[in-house]
Amino acid sequence: MKAQYIRGASLDVLLDPDAAAWRSVKSATLPLSGTPSALQPTAAVRTEFPEGSIGAIKQVSVAIAHNGGELAFRLEWSDASAESGAGGQDDVGFPDAAAILLPVRPGAPLMTMGAPGQPVNAWYWRADENGTGRQVTAQGLGTTETIDRESVKCRGIHRQSEWAVVIARHLRVKGNQQVAQIDVGTGTAFSIAIWEGGHRERAGIKSFALGALEGWHPLTLNRSS
Amino acid sequence: MTARKHQLAMVMDLNKCLGCHTCTVACKTLWSNGEGMDYMWFNTVNTMPGRGTPRDWEAMGGGFDARGNARPGRLPRRQEYGEAWKFNHDELYHGGNGDSRHLEIKGGTPEWGPNWDEDEGAGKFPNSYHFYLPRICNHCTHAACQAACPRQAIEKRESDGIVTVNEDRCRGYRFCQSACPYKKIYFNHQKKVAQKCIFCFPRIDEGVAPACARQCPGRLRFVGYRDDQNAPIYKLVDKWKVALPLHPEYGTEPNVFYVPPIGPASYGADGDIDESRPRVPDEYLVSLFGPKVLDALATVKAERERKRITGKSELMDLLIAYEWKSMFGGLDRDPSTVSVIQWTKKR
Repeated sequence: MKAQYIRGASLDVLLDPDAAAWRSVKSATLPLSGTPSALQPTAAVRTEFPEGSIGAIKQVSVAIAHNGGELAFRLEWSDASAESGAGGQDDVGFPDAAAILLPVRPGAPLMTMGAPGQPVNAWYWRADENGTGRQVTAQGLGTTETIDRESVKCRGIHRQSEWAVVIARHLRVKGNQQVAQIDVGTGTAFSIAIWEGGHRERAGIKSFALGALEGWHPLTLNRSS
Repeated sequence: MTARKHQLAMVMDLNKCLGCHTCTVACKTLWSNGEGMDYMWFNTVNTMPGRGTPRDWEAMGGGFDARGNARPGRLPRRQEYGEAWKFNHDELYHGGNGDSRHLEIKGGTPEWGPNWDEDEGAGKFPNSYHFYLPRICNHCTHAACQAACPRQAIEKRESDGIVTVNEDRCRGYRFCQSACPYKKIYFNHQKKVAQKCIFCFPRIDEGVAPACARQCPGRLRFVGYRDDQNAPIYKLVDKWKVALPLHPEYGTEPNVFYVPPIGPASYGADGDIDESRPRVPDEYLVSLFGPKVLDALATVKAERERKRITGKSELMDLLIAYEWKSMFGGLDRDPSTVSVIQWTKKR
């Protein structure tokens, strides 16, 4: 896909899922697959979520834009109920969530969430922390680590049985080898994950966008609009 | 036993539990009075037969089947624990209404709580019966919570086998909660991490027994290392074989053991005491502690008799616990001599 350059669009504008700026950005509908049960790290997880039971959200509409300094993904998917996971503070509730996954360097494996020495970087939004995103890094299944809660910005709106969520970050962030640094002109690759809280989806239990480039979707960025 | 150096364990003599909840309060005031912990009781005492805490936890699954496969489990609902009640203290003390207002529960009328069916028990008069079952985390040798966590956020300490949650690694997925067949893991919605009984490890590290054990007025909790052959745990579990794990069929190898309750004999139809029929049915105790409970009961009865007749029984002397400090396997330091005991990140 292509991240459309929108000259002069502020981060505030990009973070608004309803901003007029997004109307000019071409979106694509990406099919989502459930993660394989066999890849889940423990027997208890595989038992609770057998093959075929994972991945409640089947597709997501994606639009991508940048302003030369920040990159924003606008996701939209059908979901009849907004789960914040905190309803009555009941332990059985989990929040709806979404994340953009990026390789830190080319060749990082998608299916295993990176590998030792080949980190991947997630920009993570969840409904109960709406506004605050998490910058996450991983080098293999079960190794995700939240690096900070400042650099990833998000905004989600739920209405008419649909989530519209924007997840954004500066193209480059200072001094961290574990996260993606993106250059206009060079491009990168991405995937998307969505967790349906009402289906008890969390951790590796999620839907994800499988692309043509060893699982990744190629992403190009340039300065022409 | 695994290659672990030692395993800490606890034995609770159910013949001595009077259901006073001092253990529960000792634990609550020490560990679970922080943010998001209102509803948590790392230590509970329930009347048996009863539905327990959380309600009907024995039917929630988890643990392992006979072949060691993970058994499906489910998450308890908040109503099954029972919400912490909130009272109208502000109105009462600062409302300026004098005697016209009384202590009331704020919000809806509670329908369940952590000790809701206290003293109900089972059986028909005059053969009704009950006993108290205190429970903490079992710090299992084959801990289902640890096996279930996809992030290795649950650790079993190398030095003593205490099972703890590393709150820096925990992401709040709660697979541990479903997997624990004893439902002794809680979720902190404020901190978004799992929390549980830590066997008072900051006290253990200073040579002090867990608060629930040290504060028990009934002297029913023994503490120590499984392999310390001179201490009560080894003698009760391995030598005399009178202390058994709760629900051994869950497959997690608990390190908390119980001396089963003997209870009184039944009344016969003629009103006379029938010594051949125990008030607490054997089959009920077997359902809790497995078939070995019958041998354990026989041993305790025989040693009671020996003590009665001869005045001498190693087992009875242990269970009577003449010397309070001897119950803690050397972990008998006075906590008031320790400067700081706190919930640390050093796990």
